[in-house]
Amino acid sequence: MKKETRIALKNLGKINPENIDDYLFHGGYQAIAVALEMQPITIIEEIEKSGLRGRGGAGFPTGIKNRFTSNSCNDCERFVVCNADEGEPGTFKDRIIMENDPHLLLEGMLISAYGIGASKGYIYIRAEYYLSIDRLKKAIESAYKRGYLGKNIMGSQFSFDLEIKLGAGSYLCGEELTLIESLEGKRGYPRIKPPFPAEKGLFGKPTLINNVETLSHFPSIITNGAEWYSNMGTEKSKGTKIFTISGNVNNPGFFEVEMGISLHSLIYDFAEGIKDGKTFKGALLGGAAGTFVDNSMLDAAMDYDKLKERGASLGSGAIIVFDENQSIYDLLYSILRFFKHESCGKCVPCRIGTAQLLSLMDKLKNEENKLEIINEILFQSEMMAKTSLCPLGQSPILPVRSAIKYFEKEIISQSIIVNNF
Amino acid sequence: MSELVTITIDGKQLTAEKGTNLLQIAKNNGINIPSLCYHKKLSPTGACRLCLVKIDGTNGLTASCTVQIKEGMNVIAFDEELETIRKYLLDYLVSEHNEANDETYNDEFKDLLKRYDLINTENRKFPSVWKLFNYPTDDSSPVLTYDASKCIKCFRCIKACNEVQGKNVLSFTDRGISSYIIGGFGVWGESECDGCGECIQLCPTGAIVEKPHRTEININKIDRKVKTTCPYCGVGCQIELFVQDEKIVRSIGVDGLMPNDGRLCIKGRFGYDFIQSKERLTSPLIKKNGRFEEATWDEALDLIAFKFNEVIEKHGNDALAGYSSAKCTNEDNYIFQKFIRTVFGNNNVDYCTRLCHASTVTAMLRSIGDGAGSNSIEDFETTDCLLVTGNNIIETHPITATYIKRGVARGMQVIIIDPKWTPLVKYAKLWLQPRLGTDVALLNGMIRHIIHTDLINKQFIETKIDRGWEAFEELKILTEKYTPELTEEITGVPKDKMMEAASIYAKSPTSMIATGMGMSQQVTGTNNVFSIINMMLICGQIAKERAGIDPPRGQNNVQGATDVGASPINYPGYIPIGNEENRRKVANIWGVPFESLSSKPGLTTVEIAKAAYDGKIKALYIMGENPMVTDPNLNHTKNAFEKLDFVVVQDIFHTETTPYADVILPAASFAEKNGTFVNSDRRVLRVRKVVETPGSARQDWQIIQEIAKRMKKPMTSFTNESDIFDEIASVTPMMAGISYNRIENGGIQWPCPDKSHPGTSTLFIEKFNTPNGKGKLNPVDYVAQNEKTSKEYPFLLNSGRILFQYHSATLSRKNDALNAFANESYVLMHPNDAQKNKLTNGIKVKLISPRGELETTLKISEEVLEGELFMPWHFSESLVNNLTRDELDPHSKIAPFKLSACKVVIN
Amino acid sequence: MMTEEILAKYKPQKDNLIQILHEIQDAHHQQYLPEEELIKIAKYLNMSMSSIYGVTSYYTMFSTKPRGKYIIRLCESPICDMLGSDKIAIKLKEILKINFNETTSDGLFTLESSECLGLCGNKPSMMINQRTYTGLNEDIIELIINDLRNE
Repeated sequence: MKKETRIALKNLGKINPENIDDYLFHGGYQAIAVALEMQPITIIEEIEKSGLRGRGGAGFPTGIKNRFTSNSCNDCERFVVCNADEGEPGTFKDRIIMENDPHLLLEGMLISAYGIGASKGYIYIRAEYYLSIDRLKKAIESAYKRGYLGKNIMGSQFSFDLEIKLGAGSYLCGEELTLIESLEGKRGYPRIKPPFPAEKGLFGKPTLINNVETLSHFPSIITNGAEWYSNMGTEKSKGTKIFTISGNVNNPGFFEVEMGISLHSLIYDFAEGIKDGKTFKGALLGGAAGTFVDNSMLDAAMDYDKLKERGASLGSGAIIVFDENQSIYDLLYSILRFFKHESCGKCVPCRIGTAQLLSLMDKLKNEENKLEIINEILFQSEMMAKTSLCPLGQSPILPVRSAIKYFEKEIISQSIIVNNF
Repeated sequence: MSELVTITIDGKQLTAEKGTNLLQIAKNNGINIPSLCYHKKLSPTGACRLCLVKIDGTNGLTASCTVQIKEGMNVIAFDEELETIRKYLLDYLVSEHNEANDETYNDEFKDLLKRYDLINTENRKFPSVWKLFNYPTDDSSPVLTYDASKCIKCFRCIKACNEVQGKNVLSFTDRGISSYIIGGFGVWGESECDGCGECIQLCPTGAIVEKPHRTEININKIDRKVKTTCPYCGVGCQIELFVQDEKIVRSIGVDGLMPNDGRLCIKGRFGYDFIQSKERLTSPLIKKNGRFEEATWDEALDLIAFKFNEVIEKHGNDALAGYSSAKCTNEDNYIFQKFIRTVFGNNNVDYCTRLCHASTVTAMLRSIGDGAGSNSIEDFETTDCLLVTGNNIIETHPITATYIKRGVARGMQVIIIDPKWTPLVKYAKLWLQPRLGTDVALLNGMIRHIIHTDLINKQFIETKIDRGWEAFEELKILTEKYTPELTEEITGVPKDKMMEAASIYAKSPTSMIATGMGMSQQVTGTNNVFSIINMMLICGQIAKERAGIDPPRGQNNVQGATDVGASPINYPGYIPIGNEENRRKVANIWGVPFESLSSKPGLTTVEIAKAAYDGKIKALYIMGENPMVTDPNLNHTKNAFEKLDFVVVQDIFHTETTPYADVILPAASFAEKNGTFVNSDRRVLRVRKVVETPGSARQDWQIIQEIAKRMKKPMTSFTNESDIFDEIASVTPMMAGISYNRIENGGIQWPCPDKSHPGTSTLFIEKFNTPNGKGKLNPVDYVAQNEKTSKEYPFLLNSGRILFQYHSATLSRKNDALNAFANESYVLMHPNDAQKNKLTNGIKVKLISPRGELETTLKISEEVLEGELFMPWHFSESLVNNLTRDELDPHSKIAPFKLSACKVVIN
Repeated sequence: MMTEEILAKYKPQKDNLIQILHEIQDAHHQQYLPEEELIKIAKYLNMSMSSIYGVTSYYTMFSTKPRGKYIIRLCESPICDMLGSDKIAIKLKEILKINFNETTSDGLFTLESSECLGLCGNKPSMMINQRTYTGLNEDIIELIINDLRNE
């Protein structure tokens, strides 16, 4: 039973991503044509009704965000921003979309811009994604030439300009308010929230920020209707999701499937099971800012709320699988090193906490009172979660708590093994 | 008034304006929520997280510094959980922190560690990690040191530099726990930092500390802190001087007091060392056989009394004159002018204002009836448009400029008219760069454009302008020939820019004008200002809040000295000497016969020198002035002074002028004085005695009284400055309501006609101060300058000030901190001229004009136009005024310091 | 391309800073941002030197030190780390005879580490300049470096 349901990846492999005619031949830019016949508010309503939730990781209802931005002022300048700063470890779904179907993203942005009344958009993309950038640039160029970008799109009153802006190596810039700072050419420090971007975003103007995958669902929702979309997935997690599976599996890669699929099916049907005949020890769901699970969770349905009920998170859709030979201690160490490296340093708990957690991990190797140290790691992570300014400092608790929940014994024993080296 | 709301913090009900900052409201009401990154002058940062609170209806914890209050908000600021979290955060912070403290600064962080019982390391949970990160120390700035290991990364310095001072010189480098503050590319001393030290003042730990007196100061051993007024420019910043062992060891800005609200520039913060300079005059000196010898006060004063009386007997009353001083207090100046009028018996009293804003004041008095700035310094932040003409305001009035920069940040449009680049250009919407001496043509062109595009204010012309449309017609006819094309031809300013500037000025809801020396120090100085007033009047950009004309005053008390009568034509309060009723009133108060007060106009500064040269003036009494640097055409002044029979110089240092003295009297500096200054926005500000005078130096006003007594023409004998001020108030109508009591906790802006009057922030709201209450148009034509370039003298030399030195540099160059930034003369030349003349950057050159010459260093710079040069005039080894002319503006008698033909040769 | 030409392509707006830095760095044969170029940018964008430097030092892709013709970015994400990127790192250091953040004496290679490059599979990944390399093991590394040396 290995069947994908492709929406964001619907054209993958079918079209030449550098050829707009190919995209058009496969029904491209027909959704925006339909949208332009609709009232902007209808677009927002359709998105709301579809039940689409943000695919960047937070799972916030996309329609509500659109409505907030649309309502935040009358007649003022607004922006749509595509968050293509994919940096969550283990995640590469956005890269796949941009490399393979850049026009789909453009069309999604056009629809969302028309819906909220924005005439300028930006794609903020991490600079390491050279191929994505190249393909997007070509797509934007040909879209301008064919009148899908620029003034009076397809003869309508709607005009829209789109620009690519590059990141330069900062995980935190994927956080939406930090992304705005970076878009403005500054150091990536998170802003104080509120105000939300919907009220005061880029250059102080209402701004709608959506993830690449989220926007790539817009054209199909408009073409096929909200009902078509909401028939897929589960009660509260509608539609499809691209999961990126990596680690000790036979067939790592990306898979777009309906929400609600079991973790077991993803790992065994799609990723074809554990490599080298080893056994499944556990997985990290959602990347570094995600949660560990063990085999007791293989039956879990991949659904925002159901996972949350069971203490796990779906996040960006990254699934990092590890076998019985992997050191959870090392993996956790690597995750905490990552947070320290990516902490911007603005707020005290995250700046110092990420450093202190890592030194506690070192201490764990070298000292005997391991339970005490593990409790201290948990305590500090909790404090950081309570007090940090932005999601980065609030994240370490997720892998820390879940790793301890499922693998406390392993962490202790592996820290001893490392010591004996 | 905005809406009042009621909130509850820990069960206590508080009422405050909706939208105000929750943390600040709590602090104002004695609920001391701890915080480090928050400062009331800065936008909230939310970095330290110490001010986290619980708010009903909000998930989790919220940093109270980031919350605007709303009706009914219910806040828990203190409970066990919050206090545990705060302790945890402080504990975290101290693990990143080098606690070495040399007691030279206040340490807000340490105070909090005490409060949370974390001073004792045994009470701490987290291991110290700061040593792992090799935090550097940047010691490259001449005025401060930054030690990253003591930095808590609160952003206050960055925001102090950016939001308070508008400079944006600082940033973080790197990220996370290894991040720290940098200036420039990591070397503070090579950055754009101009040393104002705002970052030091707002640093909550000792990460940024000042260098001067670092080895002496101990913050716990400060004997006293005295609030007074800065002695440099005319902004009038309120400073607090720290005294330790009778020595001034620190200067900080006073928060909450206008005009500076705590802000200072480098001079205000680091320019106080001259007070305790070893070069201070400490004893009277009498010249004997060409050399100065120490003398007793009795010897010196008796000699002066004898000599002055002798000159009066031999040559009559008109053979004496006096220079009063913009550096001295109102009280000193008042006594000085009273001395000239009652003891010398003439009106020959003037001072360097003549060389400064005389033309501005003349034009303003004639057209709108007051020569003082019409607005308040804080209006420079809130007006919609600011036109800055011939005014390098960032360097000459740095704190006024902070208001402008803050204004620009919130959308104010700045238009600059200046032949030379100034730092404000970086903040400006438009920069018009006219050739030297072509201002009238430019302004007439702008007026014509405003008329032609119907941007005039018709109602204003009808109701507020003398002779209304008739006067307007005259202006219209006169300006008609200044077509955009002709204006561009004369001035070199592209016509589109000129027209855009005119439109912005005229259309903005409120526009202010800041006019400076570039306009005033010209032969056409008065006409320049007439032109700009004409434009202002037809646009109606005056007689309302945040509109008008403001000539920022160059010296600390240049406004006050004239206000209290240091003028050859006006009594205190700008009452003309010809006004007999006033003379009678004043004679009565002064206790002298009415007939003894001369009604004949006195001589002005340059006229005094000319009269001396002509042998008409025989004796000169100079108080705190340095004409041998400040006068134009110094070679002439020198010859004139050499002809004088008797010269007294009363000062705090030897100056370029003291060699011409027969007697030198040591006086008190501002820090040794009680008294008042009046700043640029007419604010009467207290000056307070901080330390004792050195040696036998005395108060200026006491010396003057003593000379009068010994000349057998005693004046009222005052024993304190407060009484002097009361007499000033009694003869100066605009200060009638002011007394020391009233200005103890902050200045009052004149006019303040009675004891219950709050002072006046904006002039002319009801009417102009002219006889009929209306503004007068004075149409003027552009006239080409007499001084022209020629084959022999191909350049036009402009001169001006720089930030780090001040006036004739008598005070500023006695401060190492200021000298470290700039202590050498230079001349700026356009790269094309340098190329044409085969001159290279940094070479020594000689500048020669028909009047004289000087040596300096060439700097090649695009800040000046081709064919024009610019020199700072502070440096006595390269006296710019050797080159300038004493051809005077016929209206105001100001000299044209801004335009001298000269040539440049390799030295 | 000269810095001046690159600047001329952009409006003097602060939000263009990061793109300008990328272009100037990419155009430099040593793939870095020399101070004199940063000063030109500061002037063009009317920004202070520290605000420019603050940005270059925040983002890991910018360097103010000269780098090699080939910048090797070895992924050290938790995934690649788990899959053995530490062994690749040892191998790279051994072949190139340099440590991380150093450049070979012939000016060819600079060795850097990177956070997740989005090339996750069941073996470690890296990038060399704009090229991506997945499925790495110690043998392949040697071949890749040798190929580049011979290019």
